[in-house]
Amino acid sequence: MTSRLSALPVLFVRLQRPCPLVQNRGFKRWLRPTLQTLKKRKERMDPEPLPRRSSFTDWNYKSELFAFGKRLGEDLNLDVLRTAVTTREFVLNEIDQQKAVGIEIDIQMNDNSKMILEGSEIINNYSLNFLRSAFPKLPEEGVIAVQTYLTCEENLSTLAKNLGVADLMLTPEHPVEAVTLSNGFKALVAAISESSGIERANLFVRDFVMTQLVGKNINELWEVNDPLNLLSSILQRDGKQPFEPRIVAETGRNTILANYQVGLYVNKELIGLGCGESIKIATEVAARDALRELFDTTESMKPVNFDVESLPQTFANFSIQDWSSKNVEKLMKSSR
Amino acid sequence: MRNIFERVKQWNTLTRIWHLYDAKWQDPFDSAKVIQKYLKGLHKPIYHPLADCGDHVVVINCKEIAMRGDEWRKRAYFHHTGYAGGGTYTLAWELHDKNPLMIMKKAVYRSMKGNLQRRYTMERLHLYAEENVPQDIIENISSVIPQLRDVPMRLDRMPEDQVKGYPKIWDLPKDYVVR
Repeated sequence: MTSRLSALPVLFVRLQRPCPLVQNRGFKRWLRPTLQTLKKRKERMDPEPLPRRSSFTDWNYKSELFAFGKRLGEDLNLDVLRTAVTTREFVLNEIDQQKAVGIEIDIQMNDNSKMILEGSEIINNYSLNFLRSAFPKLPEEGVIAVQTYLTCEENLSTLAKNLGVADLMLTPEHPVEAVTLSNGFKALVAAISESSGIERANLFVRDFVMTQLVGKNINELWEVNDPLNLLSSILQRDGKQPFEPRIVAETGRNTILANYQVGLYVNKELIGLGCGESIKIATEVAARDALRELFDTTESMKPVNFDVESLPQTFANFSIQDWSSKNVEKLMKSSR
Repeated sequence: MRNIFERVKQWNTLTRIWHLYDAKWQDPFDSAKVIQKYLKGLHKPIYHPLADCGDHVVVINCKEIAMRGDEWRKRAYFHHTGYAGGGTYTLAWELHDKNPLMIMKKAVYRSMKGNLQRRYTMERLHLYAEENVPQDIIENISSVIPQLRDVPMRLDRMPEDQVKGYPKIWDLPKDYVVR
């Protein structure tokens, strides 16, 4: 680095003859070129590495751990929390370092690999239960798609980062990767369960994982592949007549900006309305509209109620293959 | 935008509607004020001058527009060729004889502010002298702009039996000589 700096042409620095120390007022004409040169030199260098928070002098890991638990509003066991944020790689690294120095290996550190599995199970169980009771009419495929989205690595790692887990993680990698962060979040849930019980962990999952649903469109998270066939098979299972698509409105038929509105009718009753640039697309959208009406995921649906203290252990929703409104109503009655 | 609902919703919102307007016995200048609103999309809640949300308007029966009072004889249309002495004044009835679409077209053109968008907006106006409109244009139409005034039934075009069958409350005296 030093050689690169010295190779730079020094354009604006001029040697002045020594003069007595006299205060000199006036325009500081040297200031601008000096700052420019410094800025250019800085730009040519590599970007500064992100400092680890733990490398700062005011870092006190123990009090940070304690404060983290208090910030979450949880009464956490500090040893358990410490285990939850310790990765397997970190422990192995420590052992290697001690070996290299020649110390006998007597490390008593636990890593979070077991807690990740526990936490993952808690999150999966609760989120499935929550989604099934929030969307009783949504087919099981949809429930699983939404759950997969909510608990994916990207989302969990964002949650963990925003909670401030990244600074606490004991891991050799820097900056902390998304996998490690999402694992840290799962282990954190397990730590809460171990310290204050499974109920408390469930509420934590509800408050942080499930609330990601706010403002999300369920139909965006899960899309049906073949809506027309699916709708006709559902109508068949319900013992209804097959639907009849009809053009409700159209405009600009002979232009490239044509627009069609197609309604699906069963027994002269409108069950779905769709629009699009061709009759085929409009019919498909109408079928999707009818399906979201059946599955209760319309645009005007009520927002999800997160104000639930405890959930009953629910059974799986009906799969697409044997979904019918009769079955679903029976299931909803029996669960009440 | 991954969701198909959002995509077709936008398509549906910004679709261009084709309107039909029957200019028979209508004032071209009053009609122009109505037609230009549809051409610009001013009747839509999503209207914004920068949003390209104007509709198409097909005007039929331009040949049968009506003018007030002496307008046919008094109204003059000025045109200048650009050469010295090239200015001409054409009376409305003369212009209408030469091109039955011109008065309607000029009325709509002059009802709008002169800006860069005016000529593109005019492209969406389709004028026809009579009722016979090409089939491919008719198929596009999906809406009708109501006429400003109802067209009354003319006595000389009523079927004769309907005129004769109309109940009379008064008749000429039998000895009255009709000249």
